[in-house]
Amino acid sequence: MTWEQVLELIKSILITQTGVPNLAIKEVVMIGIAFFFLYLAVAKEYEPLLLVPIGFGIFLVNFPLAPLMGYSEHGYPELIRAFYKYGVEWEIIPPMIFLGLGAMTDFGPLIANPKTLIVGAGAQLGVFVTYLGTLFFGFTLKEAASVAIIGGADGPTTIYLTAKLAPQLLGANALAAYSYMAMVPLIQPPIMRLMTTVEQRRIKMRQLRPVSPREKLLFPLVATFLIVLLIPAVAPLMGMFMFGNFMRECGVVKRLSDTAQNAMMNIITILLGLSVGATMKADVFLSYKPLLVFTLGLFDFVICTFGGILTVHVMNRFLKTKMNPLIGSAGVSAVPMAARVSQVEGLRADSDNWLIMHAMGPNLAGVIGSAAAAGMFIAMFN
Amino acid sequence: MYNRIASHTSPKPLILFLTICFAMVIMYSSAAEATQDITPEETPQPTFTRDGENIVASLIPRAKSTSVLIAFSVSEGRLAEVKGMDFKAAARPEVDGKDFKSELFVVSVADVPKGAETRIDVSSDFFSKSTEFWGFNANQVPSWTNMNADNRSQADRIRTLGIVVRDGGPLDTDGAADGRITLIGGPKDSFWGYALGTLFIRFFGIFLVLSVLMIGMMLSGRIFKRVEDQKKRNAQPLPAKSSRPDDDFQTQRLQDVQSPADRSSVQETAAAVAAALHLHVSALQTDVPLRLRISERNPWTQQGRDRSMSVRYITSRRKQV
Repeated sequence: MTWEQVLELIKSILITQTGVPNLAIKEVVMIGIAFFFLYLAVAKEYEPLLLVPIGFGIFLVNFPLAPLMGYSEHGYPELIRAFYKYGVEWEIIPPMIFLGLGAMTDFGPLIANPKTLIVGAGAQLGVFVTYLGTLFFGFTLKEAASVAIIGGADGPTTIYLTAKLAPQLLGANALAAYSYMAMVPLIQPPIMRLMTTVEQRRIKMRQLRPVSPREKLLFPLVATFLIVLLIPAVAPLMGMFMFGNFMRECGVVKRLSDTAQNAMMNIITILLGLSVGATMKADVFLSYKPLLVFTLGLFDFVICTFGGILTVHVMNRFLKTKMNPLIGSAGVSAVPMAARVSQVEGLRADSDNWLIMHAMGPNLAGVIGSAAAAGMFIAMFN
Repeated sequence: MYNRIASHTSPKPLILFLTICFAMVIMYSSAAEATQDITPEETPQPTFTRDGENIVASLIPRAKSTSVLIAFSVSEGRLAEVKGMDFKAAARPEVDGKDFKSELFVVSVADVPKGAETRIDVSSDFFSKSTEFWGFNANQVPSWTNMNADNRSQADRIRTLGIVVRDGGPLDTDGAADGRITLIGGPKDSFWGYALGTLFIRFFGIFLVLSVLMIGMMLSGRIFKRVEDQKKRNAQPLPAKSSRPDDDFQTQRLQDVQSPADRSSVQETAAAVAAALHLHVSALQTDVPLRLRISERNPWTQQGRDRSMSVRYITSRRKQV
């Protein structure tokens, strides 16, 4: 073998078998973005359970020639592509996340005060306003719907709807949804203070009535019956959510409930996070649309918070026992962070005003409301 | 935790982020303008099949996830061919491509008497009452014309758009009265009308769904509350009668219970009741009867008293039966 042949071989290996000569600026930018989200997750603890796998997924997938999101020569999906294909594309993981969430959720505060369901509906205002606004920026109807649902502040719902309607925006939408969910304590308080007077923030709400275990057991059955009957398209999400909750409340399948809440939830969170992060390849992500998604998503959150508080103000006009408008902001889902923000703002106005349990009602109603909004959008395109 | 949340509530970073985002949006708004047309992913790809005299197009329209069928038929002549056409070729400022959700069709009719009219019927359950049919002829000014289609309702939610075209007329694109008619056009719905209409309907739909759930929960809540109240009333001790406790109470209770666990709990209860009665009777036998002071009437003593009185009441009732 001559020196020329050796050099030729080395050159060939460098070009075809290593990533170094194939690394472009846009990929370096994406790796930088991955580091940014990993920093937010690790140093700032912003939604670390999701942002760590998503950030690492972005980091991994932007290495040139890495066999992760493509298909093999024989047509088999590569590692993360397989997670994505069978988990997200087949719409399995988001409903499974809902199953786990259902098993974790105590609907007691919502059952004790069903009026807060209306607050959950009002907080979807941003979803529909953003849907319209997004259309002005050249998004298609399906893309607009998938961007609009970010304001619902419900990660699995956003992923489910986006994977169904606009998979090209999956990474941006999921990242925007989880980032803003983590930033709820930053986004909501100024709007809450702007929309309420000090007197309104001091309103003390009557203690919630105790809810019997039988009532809690019956709730998932009644809710599933009514919601799925009215919006069949939401059955995969709502059905799994209520199934998880039924397992929790029936008390005879503690092992299953425990698995749904812990082991299963953790496994699918890893798979979901990696899959979503891996959709953010430089070619797809570095365009104007994902940037707009982040801007519109923030606008969406703001309008949803506004809608929730506005709904409480409107309801207070008709109610004998007034509700504290601060609980309206919890209608954006983001369980339980949004309810905690209501609590903190309530305590700021009056150190003896404990709103957390009252805010959990609209918070849980927000989960149902955003899933219903997603169902409405799916039905619209069918 | 609350302190941590409170420490995050400085609005400065948020305002900075918002400013950057909006600045970038303004920068990119020209790019957005450029892409307001139809995206390639959403372009319908119709496939055509002949069904006797008719031709049926199957396609996934823009802004839909499921396919629809559009059937073409003619009243005069023979329907020779129907094919799809990319909207870009017919794009003009007077129309918005997004209004044509199922793209454009080129309909060819043969064997028409020269210069005669034929009626082209386009039927689908995808059409609504407001769907129009617009025709395109590049040789005309303006190129696009509303063909004032007759929008008729049929069975199974199907609507038919009937268009009358004259051989050699303004909408016959070959322009000659040669027995052949070629029509370019497509069903048109207002994109913004649809977007706004569906927006309001669906937003209030969510209120409706959650209101129904709220009413269901309120009703079930009332039923449960009533049942619970009834249970509480039943559980409250009734005034004890003056009859003596049954002597063979323990034996009878032990016969009633089946499981050993229940049996042992009954035995414990019986022992507690016996002890309570003993203390009660002993207290009565003293010169100065012992009385519970208010401070001693805590829930534990109250429960003991209630239980002992209930047992006496049950025993006396059993004897009466």
